[in-house]
Parts: sequence; structure tokens; C-alpha cells
Amino acid sequence: MNKLLIVLLSVAFLPSNAAVADSQQPNARYCLVCHGSAAQGNAAIQAPNLSILPDWYLQQQFVAFRNNWRGGAQDDTHGKEMQAVAGIMSDTEIHQAIAFIRSIKPVAKPTPGSIEHDVQHGRLLYQTCRACHGSNGEGNAQLKAPPLAGQQPGYLAQQLIAFRNGWRGNQADDTYGRTMRPFAQSLPDKQAIDDVVAYIDTLASSSK
Amino acid sequence: MNNYLKAPLTRRQCLNLLAKAGGSSAVLHAAGLFGLTTTPLKASPVTLKPLAGQQRKILILGAGISGLTAAYELERAGYSCRIIEASHRVGGRVMTLRHGDFIDELGAPQICPFDAAPNLYFNAGAARIPAHHSAILHYCRTLGVDLQLFSNHNKNCYTQDDAVFGGKPLRIREYEADVRGFIGELLAKSAGAAATAELPFNAEDMEKFIDFAKAYGDLTADLRYRGSERAGYASGGITAPGVIKPTRPLADLLRSNFAAGAMHFAEIADQAPALMTPAGGMDNIVQAFLRQLTTDIQLNCQVTNIQLLPQGVAVTYLRQGEHHTEQADYCLNCIPAQLVSGIESNLPATYLAVMRRLGRGKLTKIGLQAKQRFWEQEDIYSGISWTNQDITQIWYPHHDAFKAKGILLGAYSWVPEISDRFAAMTHPQRIAAAIAQGTKVHANYAQYIESGVSVCWQRMNHMLGCGAVWSEELQKTGFAQLQAPAGNHYLIGDQLSMHPGWQEGAVRSAWHALADIERREATRGKKHSTGVMA
Repeated sequence: MNKLLIVLLSVAFLPSNAAVADSQQPNARYCLVCHGSAAQGNAAIQAPNLSILPDWYLQQQFVAFRNNWRGGAQDDTHGKEMQAVAGIMSDTEIHQAIAFIRSIKPVAKPTPGSIEHDVQHGRLLYQTCRACHGSNGEGNAQLKAPPLAGQQPGYLAQQLIAFRNGWRGNQADDTYGRTMRPFAQSLPDKQAIDDVVAYIDTLASSSK
Repeated sequence: MNNYLKAPLTRRQCLNLLAKAGGSSAVLHAAGLFGLTTTPLKASPVTLKPLAGQQRKILILGAGISGLTAAYELERAGYSCRIIEASHRVGGRVMTLRHGDFIDELGAPQICPFDAAPNLYFNAGAARIPAHHSAILHYCRTLGVDLQLFSNHNKNCYTQDDAVFGGKPLRIREYEADVRGFIGELLAKSAGAAATAELPFNAEDMEKFIDFAKAYGDLTADLRYRGSERAGYASGGITAPGVIKPTRPLADLLRSNFAAGAMHFAEIADQAPALMTPAGGMDNIVQAFLRQLTTDIQLNCQVTNIQLLPQGVAVTYLRQGEHHTEQADYCLNCIPAQLVSGIESNLPATYLAVMRRLGRGKLTKIGLQAKQRFWEQEDIYSGISWTNQDITQIWYPHHDAFKAKGILLGAYSWVPEISDRFAAMTHPQRIAAAIAQGTKVHANYAQYIESGVSVCWQRMNHMLGCGAVWSEELQKTGFAQLQAPAGNHYLIGDQLSMHPGWQEGAVRSAWHALADIERREATRGKKHSTGVMA
């Protein structure tokens, strides 16, 4: 039976087992189940596009999930999905997973969603976002503001809702999350969220 | 360039015509499936004409019931098939857990801790088969799968509701006898009102109506309910006269939501007695397919790209870190729609848009190993106890009575919010919650439970849900679109049926696609022979 277990462990990437992680590349296929075949995200499940996110941001978010800054709120079902995975990954595995994401050839921006929106209104709302996330949604590493261009619209909307609800950016030591939260709160309603997300969706990704 | 994208419309029209003419055995109506039509459905699968020497290759993505069905039928007709499966196992959501099995939940991997014994298994996915699910039963019959009777409804099981009777469990037979008794009494009293209803209702009808009410409620001659042996005797009944149990007030009974819900569960067409299940575990159906199949099944192959070609389909998959691409004449895709949405492809945008609107079924099942079959001491053999706590149900094994140990289903919820609550817990927390809640049904529960498994289907790797959730509106606007092929690609599985979450839906979705392939191949053959003759 032990033999079978070892086979299973090596096939299945049980991340809590450090020995297994050391002996092989982590089976990063796991990332692609939710995040799409080229880490481009998946609109059906609001999984973010990882290919546009820089290493520092991915690293930071693993920390956020582990620290309960993301996925900790009782009703944040969406955040909890990733939190469960992040929670059992070792530091080595996190580095390997990020390296794996970087190794994937980026694919064309996924087809936009069909939300009812007003792009012009969204462009006005985006004025507030520009200072940190850049005129073209390219992000700003110094300010720790992630790129937005090329991100899954459904995911962006989901995160704005999460910030507004205090599922994200509501904890004392989550400096960058706390910075973002008031901006999300300044969006008056779901329509404003959809509009600004629709505008971001028009920004071309510089995908690196 | 766009020809192959336009083609589906024609085929869809053709299929619709076939359905209207009733010319295809695989195009079935829900009414037929439920046995509501006067003509009984023939439980025979689509019969593919053998390929006359031609080579046709089919790629099947997913080794669940729909994929296995397709492979079985296609290879018998001479098609060359290959099954590509993302996970480490065959069977999809037909998953019977036994000692040592790996449960691949994202973020919460487990190894099944049950003792190694033939009777200690848990059907974590598909668990029961109603008799009118003739397509899956067709394979049970032809592939030699032993079936046993399975019971959803056992009057000796309990209903427990914190809202009433101090939260104490009550035997379903007592609850039902009293509810039916009082409702029967009301019916009999209202017979006069029935006579004034618009329906023709003469004196003879009235008498029959009262007879019905009397039988329904087990009423006395004066049309009163004064308790019934249906509730079980308080004492005696065999060698001494039986003593009828005291009744409970109707208002108290109705305070439990059992009256308006679970009490009628076994009236649902798919849940009504008699049900069946394979002896030794539902995956014996999977094993039966595997005994027959010569088709190669590649495990641990995750699809990363699906490209429709003018004459076929190219599929790329990741296996041990390497990408492999294969081409085929047709692709039968059993991957859950919510995951297809994340796979790079040139599938039509309208097709993907429907997939993205489908919901993910959120279901949780917990299996518990008991060191003693304590339920048998309470006269329970099979069936379901109900509670208004999150665990919702406790199932008792229908098999292996009097053995030393047994596997209980310790929780089963299909309510998304409840399933989310289980998903948010660690595995040990889920087992602890199942035991704590089960204690309200069986006081000594905790002392009997040795170990457990938990399966939150919305978290399972390569699945992320159990049963596509179609809104009524989406079913009207999107179902036919997803059911029709896109080029030479067919999306199948229980997700493409009116029965998501049932094996019957999986089998029939495969038959539906195969019937279409059969028709296209026949057209192709004709074109070919006409060409030769010209």
C-alpha cells in the first residue's frame, strides 16, 4: 500500500509534503485547472489572468491569502477557493508555481464579456485609478499597484466588490489592500463597477 | 474558412427535424425519459453502423460515464478512439471511495482512511439509479453489473428538526402517520365542500372520496384520527395486543419543514422507490466498461488547447510537463463547461458564452466509518434520516447487514450556501461538524464513528462542480446551441442533458452525439460512393 501512496503523492502533488516538493517540479497543472490553460484566467469562474501579473504581485497575493487578508471573510466564497490552495503550499512551491506561470507563453486576450456597461462613464471613473494603476492600466511596481489591462473583467468586478464588502483591504497589516479599499468604496453601485471594468477591458495589455 | 463554423446550423436544423419526425432513437423527450409517453422507450443505444474499412479517429476528453459510453459504442463500430483524462483516475463523478483512495480536492487532498474491507465503501458521487433510467441500466444489463435495491425512503429512519419536539428525533413512520391522519381527517370533513366544487361530484363520488380520505389517514369509522398502527406500536403487537402511540398535534408537526419538504422527497420521479445501485459500489459500472474497452485511456493529461479544423479537431494536452497534440476526425468533449471556458480554443464565441453562463453545482458528501452498525439496533436497515442542520441527511448502508462495521453517509447537501460552508472548513473540521450534527439524530453517534472522508464537488480538481446548473432561461436559449456540434467538436456529459448530475444524462448525451456522427458519416459515405459512380 505504501508503494501506491508514494505513486499517488508524486502524481498528485500533495504540497504539504516537503520531500515530494524537493524531489520534483511541482505539478503546476493545478494552477491551470482554474486559471486557464495558459494562465489567461477563466471567465466562467472569475479566475484571474495570471500571465499579466508580475512576480512581485503574485508573491504578495500568496502572502495575502496565507495571512487571511484574502479569503478570510465568511462570505467570500470566491477568495476561499484560492486561499485553500495557497494555505497548503510551501515557500518553495510558491516560487516554483510563479516560475511555472512565467514559463507559459501568453495567449491572446480572452474575448470580452457581455456585461451591460457605459465605457465613457467608465473612462471618467478610471481617472481615479490612473494615479496608481497607470493611464493604460499597466500598473506600478513601486506603488505595488498591479497591472489591470488584460485582466478578466469578471475577476476585476469581483475584486471591486470584495474590496467594497471589506472581504479584502480590511485588515490592519494589509497595507496595500487598505490603500485600495476606499477607492472601491467610492464607486456608488454595481453599474459603476461594470462601467469602469468595461473601460479597463478596452485597454490593451502590454503582457509581459 | 468559415464553412465548418456555419455547418452546425444545418446539422442542428436536421436534428430538429429528426426529433420532430421521431426518426432518431437517440433524440429523446423528457416525457419519454420519465415514462410519461404511451409508447415505452426502447432501452437500446444508438447503433452505429460499422465503418467499412475506413479509418475514423475520435478523441474523447474525459473518462467519465459519457466518455466511456462513447468509446464503448464507437470502438464496437470500428472507430479508433482515444480517451484523454485530466485526473489520476477513471470514472469522473462516479467515485466510490475505499481504503487508500486519493481524493484530489484543490487545497485539501485526502487519502481515504476506511479499513480495507469489501463492504466498506462510499459512493461519493453517483449513488442510485431509478428504474426508468433505462440507458444506464442498459449498460448494467449488457455489461453484467450486479444490482441491489437501494432505498431513499425508510419509515424507521428519523426526522430531526430543532424547531419542534425539543429538537428530539422522531421516527419518520410516526411523523407521517400523524400528518396523514390529520390531513385525512380534514379531507373527510371537507368532502361536502368538494361536492360543491365545479367538478361533477355526485353522492357516489362523495362516498369514494371519503373512503380515500379514510384510507389515506387510517381514520376510525367516525372519520376521526386517533392514532394508527402505521406509527408503530408503543408496546405489544405480536404476542400481546398492540398499544397505539399517542398522536402529536398537527400544528407541532407542521412546524417542522419536513412536512413541506423532505417528507415528499421519495415522490420525486428520480428518487421514488424502487431504486437500484450496483453491488459493491457504483464504480462497478466503470469497471464493467473498462473490462470491455480496448480504447487507450491516458490519465493525467490536461487539455490546454482545442482547435476546430476544416476536417476535424486538434487537441493539445499537457502530460508530465510536455505538450502533445493529436488530431482526430471528431472530438467528444466531456470536460465540465466551466473548465472548457478556460481552455484556449477557437470554439465559437457564442458557444463559449453559453458555457460561461452555466452555474457550478455545489454538492458536498461526507462518508463516515462506524465501528459498529448501531443503526441496526434501532431497526434501521438502509434509507435516509433527515435533519434541518447542514448535514441534511444521514444514509444507512443498504448492504452487508450484520457485518462488523459500516460506512454511513454522514452529510449530503446540494444547497450552495451549505456546501460553501463545508468547503470553507478543513477536512477534520468537516468530519467533526458531521459528527456533532449527527449526534442530534443518534445520541451516541460520536462513540461509533472512527474516520471519515469529505467530498466538496465544487472544489474537486478537474471538476469544480457537480452537475451544470442551467437557469430556466438559459436552458431555453442556450441548451440547443451547446448540444449541437461546433464543427467536429461535441460537448457531452450529463451537463448536456436535462438531467445534470445523473448518469442517465451522461449516457444519453453521448448517444445524442453518436447519432449525429452516425448521420454525418452516412452522408459522407453517400457523397463518397456518388463520387465513385460519377
